[in-house]
Amino acid sequence: MIALENKIEINLKNTEKILEKYPKNKRYTLAMLQDIQRNYEYIPKEAMYEVSKYIESPLNEVYSIATFYKALSLEPKGKFVIKVCNGTACHIRGSDKVLDEIKSSLDIQPGETTEDGLFSVEIVNCVGACALAPVMVINEKYYGNMTKDKVHKVLEKIRRDNNEQQ
Amino acid sequence: MSSNKKILVCCGTGCLANNSYQVYEKFKSLTKEKEITVKPLVKPTGCNGLCEKGPVVKILPDDISYFKVKVEDVEEIIEKTIIKGKIIDRLLYFDTNTKTKITDHRNATFYKNQHKIALRNIGEIDPSKIEDYIERDGYEALKKVLFNFKPEKVLDMVEESYLRGRGGAGFPTGIKWKTCASYDNFPKYVICNGDEGDPGAFMDRSIMEGDPNTVIEGMIICAYAVGSNQGYLYIRDEYELARKNMQIAIDSAREHGYLGKNILGSSLNFDLEIVRGGGAFVCGESSALMASIQGKVGEPRAKYIRSVEKGLWEQPTILNNVETWANIPPILLNGPNWFKKIGVKDNYGTKVFSLVGKVKNTGLVEVPMGSSLRNLVFEIGGGIINDKEFKAVQTGGPSGGCIPKEHLDVNLDFDSLDDIGSMMGSGGVIVMDENTCMVEVARYYMEFLSEESCGKCTTCREGIKLMLDILTNITEGKGTKEDLDLLIDICHTVEKGSLCGLGQTAPNPVKTTIEFFKDEYLEHIENHRCPAGVCKNLTSYHINQDECIGCGICAKKCPVDAISGEPKKAHKIDQNSCITCGECYENCPVDAIKIGGGIVES
Amino acid sequence: MKVKINGKVLNAKEGETILQLAKRKKIEIPSLCYKKGFEDLGRCRMCLVEIKNGRRKKIVSSCAYPVKENLEVQTHTEEIIKIRKDIVMLMYLKSPDNKYVQKLAEEYKIDEPKKYIQKINDDCILCGLCVEACRELGTNAISMVQRGSEKKVSTPYDDESKDCIGCGSCAEVCPTDAIKVEETENTRTIWNRKFELVSCKICGKNYTTLETIKYSEKLLGEEIEYICNECKKKITADTFKESFKNIY
Repeated sequence: MIALENKIEINLKNTEKILEKYPKNKRYTLAMLQDIQRNYEYIPKEAMYEVSKYIESPLNEVYSIATFYKALSLEPKGKFVIKVCNGTACHIRGSDKVLDEIKSSLDIQPGETTEDGLFSVEIVNCVGACALAPVMVINEKYYGNMTKDKVHKVLEKIRRDNNEQQ
Repeated sequence: MSSNKKILVCCGTGCLANNSYQVYEKFKSLTKEKEITVKPLVKPTGCNGLCEKGPVVKILPDDISYFKVKVEDVEEIIEKTIIKGKIIDRLLYFDTNTKTKITDHRNATFYKNQHKIALRNIGEIDPSKIEDYIERDGYEALKKVLFNFKPEKVLDMVEESYLRGRGGAGFPTGIKWKTCASYDNFPKYVICNGDEGDPGAFMDRSIMEGDPNTVIEGMIICAYAVGSNQGYLYIRDEYELARKNMQIAIDSAREHGYLGKNILGSSLNFDLEIVRGGGAFVCGESSALMASIQGKVGEPRAKYIRSVEKGLWEQPTILNNVETWANIPPILLNGPNWFKKIGVKDNYGTKVFSLVGKVKNTGLVEVPMGSSLRNLVFEIGGGIINDKEFKAVQTGGPSGGCIPKEHLDVNLDFDSLDDIGSMMGSGGVIVMDENTCMVEVARYYMEFLSEESCGKCTTCREGIKLMLDILTNITEGKGTKEDLDLLIDICHTVEKGSLCGLGQTAPNPVKTTIEFFKDEYLEHIENHRCPAGVCKNLTSYHINQDECIGCGICAKKCPVDAISGEPKKAHKIDQNSCITCGECYENCPVDAIKIGGGIVES
Repeated sequence: MKVKINGKVLNAKEGETILQLAKRKKIEIPSLCYKKGFEDLGRCRMCLVEIKNGRRKKIVSSCAYPVKENLEVQTHTEEIIKIRKDIVMLMYLKSPDNKYVQKLAEEYKIDEPKKYIQKINDDCILCGLCVEACRELGTNAISMVQRGSEKKVSTPYDDESKDCIGCGSCAEVCPTDAIKVEETENTRTIWNRKFELVSCKICGKNYTTLETIKYSEKLLGEEIEYICNECKKKITADTFKESFKNIY
């Protein structure tokens, strides 16, 4: 986690670059926050202060927006973000089994991150690949027709490949 | 012209999830390398609709369609089909209705019954190439309108066509436009609602990804008719590819003079901006959407003054759904009478449905209004997976209701669905079978809505939470008859007391499941049993000793070794070890395993 | 224009809402999130009424519905009363220990399902008046955060607020006393921040925070004397008495 903090310090200059793309108008608050989120994987407190200063808006208005829209996260996420689709098609084709396997394999609840910072899991509503239900998406990669077995294998492979890279 | 073969590779999100982009790239690289006299054009397209069988590859002009194409198949396709003109049998579509293999996908039962207007270009063009759109009458409607019709004539034509909003409400588009045009208050705005939030619905996504220009053209025509110079496309956060393709289309449209100042040399100035959603279902509601564009949280407001009069920044605003926009160019090009020949009285044209769930042919379809639900599920959809019993469909998502077996012959149009107490919704059709628990479905929708509620008004925020708590109790075996009465009772207050459509329609899944499946609720409450085998606390599996043939498949599938028995002799499940995963039930070849009730500790 | 409320014909003003008309004519429509100056919040839903415009009847929130010619309004139909009762019941499930909500519960004779009463009492009914007050009279230091049943009023990150001036307007408008203000002889603690109180130079009572004074000075562009409201009123009254003397 220390590495993450250093990353923030160095990259706060990035925030300036991100904000400069937009006019100083509070209409673009959500767009600015989304770009910040994409850059840091979450919205650091410092970055939120920068946004409120840039658009000359009280901090609490920016904070309201950041907590209302669930595309934004105030907590750092894991290296691999697992999104389990709980859209209706996935739900009735057994997304609960997918979630159960993840919960037991990684020992975390939806919204949480593993201690080693490798995985976080979220429940999302409909990623639009209903023909492959049940679906999970890990860092933009789609895994369809999931079963407990397949989930276990996918997680193991990611962990193995990640260890090899280190 | 030499016969330039075209290879169209579906790159809609569903097929992309199945590695179709790698298939596309392989075609591109191999067609360059290989010795072919006339190089085929390789194009990525939007969604063809039969997502269950993707990746889909179509070869023109031969009209050969291949399904479930893997990267390993590409070389063979080029060698055998492109170069030698031979068909690869195993990649052809197997029509489960007619039990035959089909070469041209348009002859498949899935496609034969469809009539494409909104989806007319998707799967046939590269969405990032405006030239492809122009080649297929793209922007012809706009040209016709700008140089031949006065704004009033455009309004008359849209009103006469009786196009009704495809977002779910079915409000006559022409009346909406005429009302907005009547206000002498500028500026006016034109908005596309691309916040498709119903889980299981991906109609709008496919249109925005696969044919963004049809939406743009529709909006420019509207701008001309009502007097607007600025439009917004509000696109859901999750739809990255849709935003990307839409932006490419906007940039190309500007380059070609279809957007910007003095469009095509006329006096019309109009431009478009994409606004990205933030992950809030409530922003599909028009006043919340406008609040979001204005930079606020997506909280709706009381709509006693309609947004056509006071909408975005309190100015007259037209808000229409993606599919509605997609219908505008063809209507203006072909005329309202052409449109009225399709569909049924007062419900003209077609509707795009996303057919998902326990159905064999999951995918995107467009059928004339008034087609029967039975046709959709059993002909086009191919029936229920594993040929299980049909139980219900859910239309309208979390705002809609379930349609049970007794209404299977209802016609899919706004008025007929209204008559049976259901609704069209945006087009998501979720098919459910005998192993879907309707109580759990109601609970699932309440859970969804309680997370998505903006929280502004008491009735929605607290009322939905109460309904969720009651339904959770029922599915866990802690429900009582009083709970069911309270649940039915609170529905009225949530419906009448809530500020916006989310809260007002929230009781629909609850009310309709109770209306048609009350026995199922009572079974949960009185007998502590979930007949569908979904609510784990209320399910147990028992092997019928007379029906069991002793094949042992169940014992092999059991993850906790809870099943024992001699070969060819009736097997037994140890209830203490059983974790009610259902694997045995799903795999028994003679359906000898029955669902019993749960053992609930009081 | 003519509008009927509960059968009585009234003269309504163009542009006003049903609730504003009712308040003017002293007709009772209950509301929790309405206060003169903070209109059209539409949060609590207690002000729902039944209207008839033409043939159709509809239930609308009177705080937001603008009056129209020949509008007919009913404020206490059986259906409306049932809805209000349910709203109070829903509030009670969340704030069972709050004495204001308890009073409402008694008034509406609710029959609460004990099984669904929340274990942890939450006094806030999310009427939004405090946020409005802070925006109009204060420094925009608090707002509604999160959404759905997680929605609450707080400062950013629940931190000690940098913007709050401790004026207490929020606590004053709160209908359920949900905002905790702790006062000692010299301090006031609100929204996790401790403020120093200043004393009136006339009567010596501690009456407001230094920050509030500084903020008002900034708005007015001039220095303010440390005089509490009661003493100010007295001074004004005395000034009137004096000038009265000089006239006669």
